[in-house]
Amino acid sequence: MNNESPVIEIQNLVRRYGKHEAVNGLSLSVPTGKCYGFFGRNGAGKTTTIKCLLNLLQPDDGSVRVFGLDPRRQEVAVKSRLAYVPDQVAFYPWMTVQDTLEYLASFRTTWNREIEADLLRRFQLDPSKKTSSLSKGQRTQLALIGAICPEPELLVLDEPTSGLDPIVRREFIETVIGAYQSGDPGRRTVFVSTHLIAEFEGLIDEFTIIEEGRELLTMNADAARNRFKKIRARFSQEPTLKLLGALEVKRAGREVEILANGNSEALLAELKAQSPEELRAESLTLEEIFVASKVLKPAP
Amino acid sequence: MRWQIDFRSGTPVYLQLVEQVRHAAASGGLRTGESLPSIRPLAEELRVNRNTIAKAYAELENQGVIETLPGKGCFLKEVGSLLTKSARNDLLTQEIDRAVVAAHHLQIGDDELLALVKKRLEAFDRHNQDANHSKDHS
Repeated sequence: MNNESPVIEIQNLVRRYGKHEAVNGLSLSVPTGKCYGFFGRNGAGKTTTIKCLLNLLQPDDGSVRVFGLDPRRQEVAVKSRLAYVPDQVAFYPWMTVQDTLEYLASFRTTWNREIEADLLRRFQLDPSKKTSSLSKGQRTQLALIGAICPEPELLVLDEPTSGLDPIVRREFIETVIGAYQSGDPGRRTVFVSTHLIAEFEGLIDEFTIIEEGRELLTMNADAARNRFKKIRARFSQEPTLKLLGALEVKRAGREVEILANGNSEALLAELKAQSPEELRAESLTLEEIFVASKVLKPAP
Repeated sequence: MRWQIDFRSGTPVYLQLVEQVRHAAASGGLRTGESLPSIRPLAEELRVNRNTIAKAYAELENQGVIETLPGKGCFLKEVGSLLTKSARNDLLTQEIDRAVVAAHHLQIGDDELLALVKKRLEAFDRHNQDANHSKDHS
């Protein structure tokens, strides 16, 4: 499966708005069947990148391939194999929930009625209700049903759970795990941009952190949690420590808190040599890695 | 059995699940022939990728802890190993060495270490007895 071409391949993507470079030389590659996180602050270039994947925007430079195809030249071939849930979903207000699903289904070659009925029941969405009377949460649920029923190979989610209540957010993620991956899990790829990293933590196989339109960090999630560690130590008196290579060091008298980036063994050894009263090391969560990544420098 | 994931442990998520099944099998939380949850509901419950659960089950099958019966699911296997006695001893020796090294750095003396090992063995035995006891009464 690894020799397959990636589902998404972005190389040196550049997209400007006037003089402002929203995306500035971004490269990333999403393998088949993985759940790929795309993290960045507001304005980092996430949505611009996603729009280039869908040919909603055209790159100024670099290349974008989805299923090995160029979304500009083979837009229909690309879009027929993916589904997209944006952060702001809009439907025709005069249509009912059922009308909307029929309308969405009319563009698709595949539409799983069983999943449709299952999810309508699960979300307790009334098919005869007008979309104009749906809450924001219900609108997102409807968009998710519309994205999952065609059983696409790629699910693109742009800030899908922001602004939703915790129950809807939880259901959303369970649906992505359960219903979306039910067909052929090995071939169902998810590309998700989000701020709410903690909620997606267990789902993310790999991720890229983007900052000012450039890649800051790309890693496997387990490897990242192994590499970034927070070490806390307390000594009987203020210690003399070099702590070379620590990402960040906070000292408060006898206590030291260190952020380690891949060199926790050496740092722990140095601390142990000073006979600490207490010494603890724990991995950072993906959200904490995202926050900590601000001290990493973007690749030039 | 109870499942728990700790993203701060630094251990890959699938290995945490592997360890929990091995632990449950050793302490009577899971008995020979009992089934493990299927992948989808467990993934939804733990909110982890299905690939992660599948990887954990594949690893457990590889280690001979569980077996997959097509269409029926995954079941805990009878404890039995294809390895020779000396190979099994070697594997366990590595694990014991790790504990011995840790004890040294934590300044735990030999007698204390042995007492601790004995205490843990008793704790696992107790769990097993409790599990069997409740089985007999169910």
